[in-house]
Amino acid sequence: MKRTEPPRLLLRLLKSFCKPEYHADIEGDLLELYEAREAEAGRTRANVLLLKDILFLFRPGIIRPTTIHPITNNGMIGSYFKMGWRSLLKNKLYSTLNVTGLTFGIVCFLLIGLYVHDELTFDHQHSNKDRIYRVVSAEENPNNGPTVVAAAGYMLAEESPNAIPEIEMTTRMQRAGRANLVDPENPINVQETITIGDGNFLQVFDFPLIEGDRKTALKEPNSIVITEDLAMRIFKRTDVLNKNLQFSHMPTPLKITGILKDHPHNSTFNFTSVISESTLYHEEWFKEEIENDWSSTGFTVYALLKPDVHAPTVAQKMTSLAIAHAELEPGTVLSFMLQPLKDVHLRSEGIADGARNANVESIPQGNPLYVTVFSFAGIFVLLIAGINYTNLTTARASSRIKEIGVRKTIGAVRGNLVRQFLVESLITTALAFLVAVLIVNLLLPPFNDFVDKQFSLFTGASLRFWAIAVALVIAIGLLSGGYAALLLSRFNPVALLKGLKMRSVSDFSVRKVLVVFQFTVSTVMIIGTIVLLMQVRFLNNTSLGFDKDLMLVIDVNVAKARTNFEWVKAEMAKVPAVQQVSVTSRVPGEWKTFRRVKAKQEGSAGDHQIAYVIGADKDFLSVYDIQLLTGRNFQHENDTSAILINETAAKLLGITDVGNQVIDIPMIARNNFFVPIYDDVNASFKPQVVGIVKDFHFQSLRDKIQPMIIAYNENPIQSIDYYSVKIAPHDIQGTLDKLKAIMVTNDEHEPFEYHFLDDQLALFYIEDQRSQTILSWIAMASVFIACLGLFGLATYSAEQRLKEIGMRKVLGATVISLISLLSKDFVKLVFAACCIAFPIAWWGASRWLAGYAYHIDVAWWVFALAGMLATGIALLTVSYQAIRAALVNPVKILKSE
Amino acid sequence: MKKIQLGEFEEVVLLTVGVLHGNAYGITIKDEIEQRLDRDVTVGALQVTLRRLESKGFLKSKQGESTESRRGRPKLFFEITAYGKKALTYTKETRDELWNALPKLVLKLNS
Repeated sequence: MKRTEPPRLLLRLLKSFCKPEYHADIEGDLLELYEAREAEAGRTRANVLLLKDILFLFRPGIIRPTTIHPITNNGMIGSYFKMGWRSLLKNKLYSTLNVTGLTFGIVCFLLIGLYVHDELTFDHQHSNKDRIYRVVSAEENPNNGPTVVAAAGYMLAEESPNAIPEIEMTTRMQRAGRANLVDPENPINVQETITIGDGNFLQVFDFPLIEGDRKTALKEPNSIVITEDLAMRIFKRTDVLNKNLQFSHMPTPLKITGILKDHPHNSTFNFTSVISESTLYHEEWFKEEIENDWSSTGFTVYALLKPDVHAPTVAQKMTSLAIAHAELEPGTVLSFMLQPLKDVHLRSEGIADGARNANVESIPQGNPLYVTVFSFAGIFVLLIAGINYTNLTTARASSRIKEIGVRKTIGAVRGNLVRQFLVESLITTALAFLVAVLIVNLLLPPFNDFVDKQFSLFTGASLRFWAIAVALVIAIGLLSGGYAALLLSRFNPVALLKGLKMRSVSDFSVRKVLVVFQFTVSTVMIIGTIVLLMQVRFLNNTSLGFDKDLMLVIDVNVAKARTNFEWVKAEMAKVPAVQQVSVTSRVPGEWKTFRRVKAKQEGSAGDHQIAYVIGADKDFLSVYDIQLLTGRNFQHENDTSAILINETAAKLLGITDVGNQVIDIPMIARNNFFVPIYDDVNASFKPQVVGIVKDFHFQSLRDKIQPMIIAYNENPIQSIDYYSVKIAPHDIQGTLDKLKAIMVTNDEHEPFEYHFLDDQLALFYIEDQRSQTILSWIAMASVFIACLGLFGLATYSAEQRLKEIGMRKVLGATVISLISLLSKDFVKLVFAACCIAFPIAWWGASRWLAGYAYHIDVAWWVFALAGMLATGIALLTVSYQAIRAALVNPVKILKSE
Repeated sequence: MKKIQLGEFEEVVLLTVGVLHGNAYGITIKDEIEQRLDRDVTVGALQVTLRRLESKGFLKSKQGESTESRRGRPKLFFEITAYGKKALTYTKETRDELWNALPKLVLKLNS
């Protein structure tokens, strides 16, 4: 009778932990039991019971002590290090190749890591960061399409904590506009954003206070909390608690009740001062505004939830709470979402930054796409460097046959050899890591300048960053050494020492795959860089449809600069270097919000369409060199009811020829929602179209050109806010001084804020520009590292085939044929890599470009160029060795045998 | 004399080895305890106890023959040593002493 065998795995499990001296008889007992049980209750039952028995045997007294092999004691560890170090020194060329490659990889990885870590840890400074949520409201009504804004109403914030037990606290914040903030004792005009926060603001968030009490700082009316930086700018010192400050538009001074530390660079908050909300409580207009304010978007609301609360449920409850109280127009759909604070920086796509005056800049957003691309690029570069090590070590295995054979004969078990090779690779990695940290430290200052951040390796980066970095480096060390270690320790010592040869086909193909992988990644990066470069150049060089060079834009910050603009314009025009001056409500390419209105041709059927508005004087077209296609420009002061429209608007409104068509504009967007322009709901602004201008890119090239209405500078929609001064290129500083003098003569409170329009426009694409530069460095590094590896492999294969080459030469092979013989294999690999890389790169590039309304097309020659670059560089690397081998005098090689 | 302490399960195992006299190895001990005392014994618990008793000097072991069902793995037979007997006697005596000291009345009351 054939007996059934118990599962081998289980017995092996027992063997793996059981003391060897006990093992034999215990296993015997188990086998005997197994047979009895099998006969009685069947196989499965017997297996289960066997497993149970074995698991119960896993206990002290049965488990063997950890050391088994007499040689494997701690003394060997010292030997591993000594041997590893010696073998590094013995092969200086290969060691240098390995360490250099890994160093480059780690440098790239660390720099990218710092950047990505920074982006991912935005707003992590707050101890309650996991419980703080930003309230986002989504509203849709007959006047507005779906609008998603990070803002909510006063009452919702006030009542939610009472009505919803899961909410611990809420806080409100508003950015009400910009105004001069001055020290009444020593008035110097500093233009600041007015931020208003309620009493909970400093309790929900823990912005570190240097002075003042967190609990009470924002409770009293007329309190203000300022940052260190602002204190330094106004007072030139920071011990200014209880001093007074005053915003120019406010009647009463504010008492400083707290000094905040400056925000870390990875904070989405950029306010410099916060006024207590209670300052406004006695104001009639504020009372009106907040009364029954359940559904407005006047406040940025943050909610602090109780621990372990399901946020969407809470959001649901907030929605029901608001709907129960709010008086909504019929047809309005309102709902609230809670966005985790940690997601605000990177995952706010499609969420408008609300609760701010139109002249306050929205908070800058991170680009999750770049963060992903960079993370992958960083890891891939590290992988490429690791692969180099694996490839070089396995390729050179045969030169270590003797060593391995002798070690095994003397009594090394496989574990010893594996550990020895691992230690060797860890030494290499650690060496590379140290060098890399030094290099990164040197590179950090320019890198910081470049990405406009303040990284530092030793103070800024958290412990977690270092833990991850070190863990990854060790992982790379183990991975890259691991394959080689397992492979090299596998061989039979007798075979090794007898033939001093090993042939392993599978090993060679693994190496091939790895090389193909390296070059695939490198080629994708090359293509990515070229596409980015071309797109950024396209963005910067595309004709925008208006003149942006030497255009000085001066902000209107004081009332008199607005009312007295005719005089200012006239004075400015007298400055010799000034060519032309125009006043407008917004300038093309400006970052502050453009006003939007709803408009349609009077009498025409159909809905009102959304259009953007600029208020401009009659000099606007000539200053900006915008082409008038048909009709006329503004002519005189009474042109208040005339408008110009751009081509897109003309198409949208159905106007083909200018004939004083009347446009009906009833609604204007405030805080992302459309409301009637006039108090009388049925009234509307009804200007006449007098001209059509050529389309110009008044927004970033990411967006399609939108319909634009150019209204006269006196219009009910938006008053003037900027002077645009076209100046001559010489003595710019002198011109600036003269212009400043004029503005200050006009009003002594003038802070004179200005910028050059081309700089401002470049800011649109600064992130792309940065990414392009970073990516091009990564691409170069990855190609370089991959080539280091290829160089090593080529060197080695040329060395191995020296005899063959000698023979071939003797038999009449030409140098060219020898070179192609040696290079062919490698070039084939690079070709294969290109074939894999092209579709990946094409897919990635198209996805990225789709984010731009105006973009380049990815042409075939980009791929050809990248392919040629990769092949060319690889060929250069390999052929150096090939040529050297082919030129050696065959006598020298052959005579020794 | 050094204090001899036997745990309950140790005592049971030691006694069973004695009961089986000459035929005491893993399986038989396990079966014997399970049958006589009607309790489950895992191989792990039994083995640990056997080895502990051996290392304390209460048991000695010697390898015996194998059977076909054991695939050549030897049986390990256990035998009580003199010291082991002493330990059992000592345990029994101490128990008896306690029993004798126990007033009869208590037992009656509790039954």
